Amino acid sequence: MARVSLRGVNKSFGKVDVIRDVDLDIDNGEFVVFVGPSGCGKSTLLRLISGLEALSSGEIYIADRPVMDLPPSKRGIAMVFQSYALYPHMTVFHNMAFSLDLEGKSKKEIRERVEAAAKILQMEHLLDRRPAALSGGQRQRVAIGRAIVRNPDVFLFDEPLSNLDAALRHDTRVEIAKLHRQLDATTIYVTHDQVEAMTLADKIVVLKDGEVMQVGAPMDLFHNPANEFVAGFLGSPKMNFFEGVLLSASEQQAHFSGEEFEVDGVRLVSTTKRNGDPIKLGIRPQHMWLDPNGSVTGTVTLVEQLGTETVLELITQQGTPFRIASPENVEVSVGEQASFNFDPNSAHLF
Amino acid sequence: MTRTFKHIVLALIVVIWVLPFVALVTTSLRSETASKTSGFWTAFTPTELGHRFGTHDRDQTDPFVTMSGNIFERLNGDKESFEVSGEVNSILFKGRVPDPDNAGKTKLIKQLIYAGEVMDVRDGEFVFQSNGDFTWTFPEATAPKPKNLDAFINQDPVFGTDAYVEVLFENENVPNALISSFIVTIPATIIPITIAAFAAYAFAWMRFPGRDWLFVIVVSLMVVPTQLAFLPVLQGFSGIASWATSLNAWLTDCEATQTCQVASKSFASLWVTHTAFGLPLAIYLLRNYIVGLPKELLESARIDGASHLKIFTRLIIPLSVPALASFSIFQFLWVWNDLIVALYIGSADSADLVFPIRLQKQLGTFKDQLHLLNASAVISIIVPVIVFLSMQRYFIRGLLAGSVKGG
Repeated sequence: MARVSLRGVNKSFGKVDVIRDVDLDIDNGEFVVFVGPSGCGKSTLLRLISGLEALSSGEIYIADRPVMDLPPSKRGIAMVFQSYALYPHMTVFHNMAFSLDLEGKSKKEIRERVEAAAKILQMEHLLDRRPAALSGGQRQRVAIGRAIVRNPDVFLFDEPLSNLDAALRHDTRVEIAKLHRQLDATTIYVTHDQVEAMTLADKIVVLKDGEVMQVGAPMDLFHNPANEFVAGFLGSPKMNFFEGVLLSASEQQAHFSGEEFEVDGVRLVSTTKRNGDPIKLGIRPQHMWLDPNGSVTGTVTLVEQLGTETVLELITQQGTPFRIASPENVEVSVGEQASFNFDPNSAHLF
Repeated sequence: MTRTFKHIVLALIVVIWVLPFVALVTTSLRSETASKTSGFWTAFTPTELGHRFGTHDRDQTDPFVTMSGNIFERLNGDKESFEVSGEVNSILFKGRVPDPDNAGKTKLIKQLIYAGEVMDVRDGEFVFQSNGDFTWTFPEATAPKPKNLDAFINQDPVFGTDAYVEVLFENENVPNALISSFIVTIPATIIPITIAAFAAYAFAWMRFPGRDWLFVIVVSLMVVPTQLAFLPVLQGFSGIASWATSLNAWLTDCEATQTCQVASKSFASLWVTHTAFGLPLAIYLLRNYIVGLPKELLESARIDGASHLKIFTRLIIPLSVPALASFSIFQFLWVWNDLIVALYIGSADSADLVFPIRLQKQLGTFKDQLHLLNASAVISIIVPVIVFLSMQRYFIRGLLAGSVKGG
């Protein structure tokens, strides 16, 4: 259990800057998720914290100790890899015991700690098997178990669920959440899956091209995205964007004039835009509803009935595509015109 | 169509490889006469061969009217192996009979007599059956001189291990060569593979300046022909030997017994030479295998706190068993069959000669005794075959199964 602090962290491979000036504070026992599209540097950032990659510049503190010059094993971390990385020639027991064995712990202590970890993960019956005789989910448990026995200050997870099928992914996700509550250890979790990020995280770090876009609690990020990227990245289906012009730029009550509709009293996110500048209005598909007098009108191009909700894909007369997600069944079919309304309070201007 | 063609080509290749071995084994199991007089392919079917037998049993001097006996018993009387059996086809009678043209005179005739026909031998009637029984009847009791007759026998296939007994036990050359070959081959396999495994790990997973260039140099050493290096290598060894000799003279009282001389050509010099020439290929093969092991596995071990040495001994070695086994077979075969290095670098002492040199020397001493040469050759082949078959179980498929995704 420890704080993790990153100060001005930079990493470049040759001339390519993969991580740019990242500052981050992670509190005791916090579950932090690094999320972003592939190639955004989230895995590299994790590897920098683990010590598998060396920093180009900057400082990393774990439990208030500078760890830049320490090898991975001395940083008080344990890592779970996307590909499990189990030792194929050892039994599950020896896979979990490997780090303790290297530390020179006694046989008795090793057995106790491995069995305790196995009990937490409910896999005592697997201890004598080899990785080849395990299913994907069981292998992932062993990988997590290997991290638990080390009793680390910080758990690092590198996309641990991306090799599992959908059902197992959900179960394991729930289990990781439980495990985190049980162990109460600081956890850093890398994923490209926003559902994992939203459900697991105390704090989400959204990354793009090696830069931190926004840090905050999941709901905070969802309702108050700091920029167009975060707004578009979180939430499913994606947020709709309509192009237009900024007409009056007051803090909370900006006036937006689009090609097909105007709206007043929208939260202005951008700090650089002035009156008359082109601007984008973002509104989530869930925040729009069918209204014959609504200001946004489009032609239906696709209807997706998901059971729990209906997703409509539409296109405006000016050719801007947008989506509507409604919890009720919407009786429209492809080719029809439909009008929608929205609450300016839930819209954002970027 | 192409399938049939493939099968034919495959069968052809198998025949080409197996046939010489079959010939070698067959010939080594035949009698000296058989191996000299007919090809190995005749060894499996009855073959007509000539055998000379004497009419008399040993020490038989008493007069008799009728002598009965068996040609095969006569032939096999004092043999312990390669006993003749089969059917007697005919007997070539060679001797003097009364000349019908010149009364009172005799003439030399050669005549083939078949089973059941009466033959005049020393004035007695000699009749034989195809199963080898013969009777020799005289009008009255006589004690004729023994007569040697040549029988053509349709002989059944017969095999024996006499040649092996002879090369292995009658003198110490082959057993000595076997022992010497083991003394040379086992260290000359283990030493390079040990060094190469360490080097391969370093080339694959350790970062140090000039690593890639060094690897290129090591790999390019593979093209250096062995013969090219003999002179400098020999010079080196004789330098070390004379240095060791002086050290010996200085440190011990060997001068009194005149035993100071340290040989420059020895088993040790063979180990060093084979190691040096085996290393480039060994490093190349092992490095390419080790570099293909999953990176996450090594990273995981690093996080678990393993040093390079621990990663090497606890992960790399167990996971590289197939590569280690295949290279050790390679090196074992190469050293076991090596003639030229042993000839130049190895000891010339008769007791220390390795098998290929012994075989080469046997070509001179045994000349046309094919069965002995082939027996030695088979002995030298059997060892690598045993090594290969016993190493085969280390070629484990799916050693990495369960380690990383999709495994």
